[in-house]
Amino acid sequence: MNNSARSEIFARLRHACQSAEAENIQRALPPTDSAPGAPLPSDDLATAFLTNVLKNQGTVECVANRSAAVKALADYVYRHFRSHRLVAGNDANLAAMPWREAGVLPRFGAIEPGEPVALSYALLGIAETGATALQTGKANPAVNNFLSEHHLVLVDSSRLVATMEQAWARIRQEMNKSGRPRGYNFIAGPSSTGDIEGQLVYGAHGPRNWHVILMGDIAATALEDARALAGK
Amino acid sequence: MKQTSDTFLENASAALADSGKSQRRDLLALFSPLMRDAAMGSFGQFEELRDHVRQVRQHSLDHLDHYLAQFEQQAAENGNRVHFASDGDAMNSIVLDICQEHRAQRIAKGKSMVTEETGLNDYLQRAGLSVMETDLGEYIIQQAGETPSHIVGPALHKSAAEVRELFLSRHDLGERDLGEIADLVGEARLVLREHFLKAEVGIIGSNALVAENGYSMLVTNEGNGDLCANLPKVLIICTTLDRILPRLEDATAMLRLLVRSATGQPQTCYTSFYSGPRRELDTDGPLETHIVLLDNRRSEILASDYREMLQCIRCGACLNHCPIYAGVGGHAYGWVYPGPMGSILTPLLTSLEQSTDLPNACTSCGRCGEVCPAGIPLPDLLRDLRHEESERKLSPTRWRWGLKMHAWLARQPRLYHALTAVGIFGMHLLGRRRGRFASLPMAAGWTSQRDFPAPQGKTFMQQYSALQRQQQAAADAGKRGGRSTRRPDPRRPGTRRQDATRKAPAGTGKRAHPGGPRGKKPRRRTGDE
Amino acid sequence: MSNPSKEQTSQRDPLRVSLFVTCLADLFRPSVAFASIRLLEQAGCVVEVPGQQTCCGQPAYNTGDYATSVPLARQLIAQFESADYVVAPSGSCAGMICHHYPTLLEGEWRERARRLAAKTFELTTFLNDIARLKRGDRPAVKLPAVTYHDSCAGLRELGIKQQPRALLRELCDTEVKELRQTEVCCGFGGTFCAKMPEISGKMVGDKLANALATEASILAGGDLGCLLNIAGRASRSGAAIEVRHIAELLCGDLDSPAIGEPERQ
Ligand code: SF4
Repeated sequence: MNNSARSEIFARLRHACQSAEAENIQRALPPTDSAPGAPLPSDDLATAFLTNVLKNQGTVECVANRSAAVKALADYVYRHFRSHRLVAGNDANLAAMPWREAGVLPRFGAIEPGEPVALSYALLGIAETGATALQTGKANPAVNNFLSEHHLVLVDSSRLVATMEQAWARIRQEMNKSGRPRGYNFIAGPSSTGDIEGQLVYGAHGPRNWHVILMGDIAATALEDARALAGK
Repeated sequence: MKQTSDTFLENASAALADSGKSQRRDLLALFSPLMRDAAMGSFGQFEELRDHVRQVRQHSLDHLDHYLAQFEQQAAENGNRVHFASDGDAMNSIVLDICQEHRAQRIAKGKSMVTEETGLNDYLQRAGLSVMETDLGEYIIQQAGETPSHIVGPALHKSAAEVRELFLSRHDLGERDLGEIADLVGEARLVLREHFLKAEVGIIGSNALVAENGYSMLVTNEGNGDLCANLPKVLIICTTLDRILPRLEDATAMLRLLVRSATGQPQTCYTSFYSGPRRELDTDGPLETHIVLLDNRRSEILASDYREMLQCIRCGACLNHCPIYAGVGGHAYGWVYPGPMGSILTPLLTSLEQSTDLPNACTSCGRCGEVCPAGIPLPDLLRDLRHEESERKLSPTRWRWGLKMHAWLARQPRLYHALTAVGIFGMHLLGRRRGRFASLPMAAGWTSQRDFPAPQGKTFMQQYSALQRQQQAAADAGKRGGRSTRRPDPRRPGTRRQDATRKAPAGTGKRAHPGGPRGKKPRRRTGDE
Repeated sequence: MSNPSKEQTSQRDPLRVSLFVTCLADLFRPSVAFASIRLLEQAGCVVEVPGQQTCCGQPAYNTGDYATSVPLARQLIAQFESADYVVAPSGSCAGMICHHYPTLLEGEWRERARRLAAKTFELTTFLNDIARLKRGDRPAVKLPAVTYHDSCAGLRELGIKQQPRALLRELCDTEVKELRQTEVCCGFGGTFCAKMPEISGKMVGDKLANALATEASILAGGDLGCLLNIAGRASRSGAAIEVRHIAELLCGDLDSPAIGEPERQ
């Protein structure tokens, strides 16, 4: 029955569509670069990214290197939970962090009920949308993105891109190398809803807090500028 | 879903009578356009992007057979099972079969207008399954036993107080306050978390299907759809064929407009792309994934003059900007899709006979077409549907003949001017004392809501031709008397004082025409005079 | 046809305008047409009123009866296509000609419709953008506070927004007191207001409330359909606001009764 539905649908579509060679169809497709993107709030990529993360109601920190990153993570968790417990996927980048220096060691794996904090290592940070792109898999189980109360995302500044088009270009390279992952999650804010009277409330089903740590060689004023631009 | 579009006027009347709901709709109609405008304003290149998105959408539809085949192949390569459903029942039974195959009892569902269209929840529940909507808005209306009033915010017709009452009665959680909207959101989170963790099957919709690699885009703010897509062992994506786009970039270019048009945000919190079941080394994700592609007349629409309607990206902007939607709310439309897009889709997906009022629930104000991010000429399509009603004699005979008579008369200018002169002057005499009519037998619809202003006096054409005759006579007399006619100087118009001293044109007979040019004669001038 | 700009025109060579009176002005409010003629003349135009004109076919067209509107469209094209400019004191009628005729008609008629559309203007657009009527061209006019209703067809099909405001500023020294949700329909919609009176009533009620909230004493507009609707609602609810066509106001004609007002003794 399913098969007959399929052939009926295709027959109807063929009747309604212009038949053309795949090559010609390809050629008739408008180029992706004719789609304008949103203007960036700053010419400096890091500043632009941080500004939009802040506008998306994320919280941000900038750190110069991996030692500072683990320290910042440890401080964040301690500040909120008076503990040093957090969960992270089996990401080689995270495993290689100098955890001992800050006296924390994440549990590597998927989040379990009762564990409030998850850490992810971002595939990319996208300035245009203020989003962190994450890839599902062993290195970052998707549940870590959605079931935690506090979702911490570490973004290496070398992984910042300006637009979604640039993001896809980078992702395509990865995909060509290591195949298609099950999913990509672009996360741009703590979970929210406007479903009751149109009033925006945070902490719907996913994390209530989304904290981005930008790591690397970043202009000293980037964070300050971003706060000013975002009005925070 | 039971359709009540045929009683649109009664539904509307009832909705207008509910002043509390009416006020809430007014507020939404005031604020949502402001949010959308602000978002588009800071984006800056709405027209350019809309052009691009429209072109891509049109291209995808022009070659839908090609892209659908490509998507099917890619999705299958990714490990999905792809199903085709010609109509709603077919989709429902495919989904039920999958659930039964897995002996699933509990279903967690993300927001999906397509499954509202097919009535999937009822269908599964009748088969004994427990289906839980997880989008907050959908959850609220499911608990209340209602249908969505808006395609983006399904429960926007309910006040916080109503939701509070609902939660207090539906959730057995003892004494609690729930005074703030945040409390309500928190409670829904708590209650639904359970369901997410226990569900055996997740069902979600899709905002775009990417032909080049078989990914399916899911856009939410709450993250509920992602929980449905990641926690249960089986995932079913219920969507329609027209969601296909060629490339990943096309999906995210469209998203720029979708989010800003829908909620005025620059970006939703969660934008996900899912390709299929968990990969070999993955520690989480569904073990089995299905994609059910529904046609339900979309291939017919594709072959029709209404093809552009398939470009719709379901942003809801046309609802938010429609004054009629604002007035009567989504339920009055009597089916799944309300507002301008619904007034087009409902006749096309059900029947024009069942929904004759919907295409007429439109003043052709054009606001929907102005904001539609998919560049759909909504007012034109609505008028085309009215055209079909008129062709198929579905519109009231009285209206059809009335307009034909008027047009016939308007094609006989002499007769038209003679008859209107008599009729209008008669009306003027009847109405001049009050300046208006409180009721008119031929215009009961009009006068039920407002007075009908009386005409000023003689028709313009009557007055104007009288003036011309006068002028001609004066010119003839002038020639006979050897005087030349006064040549008007276009650069130096007469002042009001001068005007007032000149003789008034023929008016009502008693006094200068009230609204006339106050004595100034309209002149017919020719260059070679 | 080349559109001569005003700079090039001299007294010997004024702009020649054919006025499309529109059926509502013809029947209900001739003063609008007289005022239009006067304004055009003040701007230095030579005005002609083709005597056989009736209706542009909008009512049938909007209800979807295309076949019935086609002969009316052709009739109007034949009557007006020899003009240099066609001007109508209505955004919706000018919109019908400029925007809808070329899609309604086919073949040779479509071409003729396009040519006509290119030289057809709504009154305020023509006065402000083409004929450039300035304060020096005519006696000054003083107006009480005015609010303005943007009619939908004019606004969205022809982009009429700043022209009437600019003219009020230039000719009458008047700044429009903007009404909230000014770009939302008043609920007229041609046959809509009679087919769906309750919804239309709600819409015009909202429009009137927003107009009253500006505390202007006059509501002006460029389309008689909307104005008859709003005026009828105002008089029904006893609201103290005069409803007038922009052409009358620009002429300073405040003595004649406003729309829906009784004759003054
Ligand atoms: S018709 Fe246009 S505005 Fe309306 S929902 Fe669809 S895309 Fe949005």
